[in-house]
Amino acid sequence: MKPNLSLLSVFSAALLTGCVTSTVDEMVFNAPTEGVGEASVVILGRRHASDYETEPDFIECVGDYIAGRDKAIDVVGELEFVNALYPWFEPRTAPLYPQDIEKLLQQAPVAQKLLSLRTKYMIWIDGSTVRTDSAGSMTCGIGPGGAGCFGFGTWGNNSNYEATIWDFSNRAEVGRISATASGQSYMPAVVLPIPIIAPVQGTACDSVGDQLLQFLSSEY
Amino acid sequence: MLGSMISSPERRCVAPLWVALFLLPGLLTACGPSEVAVKGQFPSPLMQKLPLNMGVWYEEDFRTHEFFDEAKGRAESGWIVKTGDAQLDMWNTLLPGMFRHLQHMPSRPQPGKMNPAVDAVLIPHIEELQYAIPAHTNVKVYEIWMRYRFELLSASGKPLGEWTMTAYGKTPTAFLQSDEAAVNLAAVVALRDAGANFATNFTRVPQVRDWLKQRRDRLAGGEQPARNPPTGRPVQNPTPDRAPLAETRQ
Repeated sequence: MKPNLSLLSVFSAALLTGCVTSTVDEMVFNAPTEGVGEASVVILGRRHASDYETEPDFIECVGDYIAGRDKAIDVVGELEFVNALYPWFEPRTAPLYPQDIEKLLQQAPVAQKLLSLRTKYMIWIDGSTVRTDSAGSMTCGIGPGGAGCFGFGTWGNNSNYEATIWDFSNRAEVGRISATASGQSYMPAVVLPIPIIAPVQGTACDSVGDQLLQFLSSEY
Repeated sequence: MLGSMISSPERRCVAPLWVALFLLPGLLTACGPSEVAVKGQFPSPLMQKLPLNMGVWYEEDFRTHEFFDEAKGRAESGWIVKTGDAQLDMWNTLLPGMFRHLQHMPSRPQPGKMNPAVDAVLIPHIEELQYAIPAHTNVKVYEIWMRYRFELLSASGKPLGEWTMTAYGKTPTAFLQSDEAAVNLAAVVALRDAGANFATNFTRVPQVRDWLKQRRDRLAGGEQPARNPPTGRPVQNPTPDRAPLAETRQ
């Protein structure tokens, strides 16, 4: 009975997941031949645009994807890194070009901290996931006999991210990866709303994470 | 038995009353303005400390700073954003990391007063705070913008400089995140930005730059810097218009 139930759950989950299409572009100039070794990698979100912000949970998702698949890669958490190097990686002060690192390293405490973190690659991710369109309507009601909803809603999501890889030791950009994903989610409701969500951001995270893993890991 | 028959209907009446009393605060809260007492953690700056014995004084308005925006219509909610405690947290973490010695002044420095021996006293003020939520702008970010005014005084209260500085923080909308939590996060980002702006630009403020240059010249001329705590004791400043280093020598 239990396997049947598990199969049913998996089948339902698959059915309740919307479709997502994704595209990945990769441009690598100088990938490491033997992985990153003892060094660490930090993944940071760009936050200087006025109308959007790279989501912190997306940065965490990419970091977890890489660290989860190659345990040898030490991924420093974004908040940990930004706090340790405050105020030099805030949206206002963060270096925009690899050459700006040189200026940062002229400050002895900053140079010492970066040395102690053994940062080899700094990966900047810029982009966001937005809702593109929505349609439909749903009405929910509650009464003495119970509660329920009726209607149909649909919306689209679009993810667009670009990851830029800086080699910290050479102060140079060594790769650029971009990923786009889009999908349509649906929510029919007959008494109970049934969300069929397209994992757009998750797909973009997997796409970026997979490409970065190929760049950083010796095993992939 | 009789007692129970009499008391029973009374209990039935009392129960809805308790329920009503329980729900009333909730209903009244729903009608009131959204309130955010900003809370966050602020890191210490990673930088070479300036060789200054700096004093800091927070005015009452700064320590208890709050922003109130009245609702403009029935569909909107008013907002109270209290930043006072978070301001103190942030500046009390930032300033000791920027200056070799930091002293909290017992009062605003004034001529003829017993003042601790410091090179200068910094007094921050919040001139303006603005906020925006997605309901206002149709952009899916919560924003906080602040304008500070800083006064730099000598230990005797002589103005050495005055300048303004802006800070901005935003945070994206997130699933299951309340407006209050998002505004708090945006305010924390704005406070971090204020700290970053102040720490990286303090020595570039023209008046501060001039004052530091004059101070360097005086030190090169053989003057002694302000005594460092804990040996530095309050001194009375009989000549309030003299530069702070000269005052501390007396």
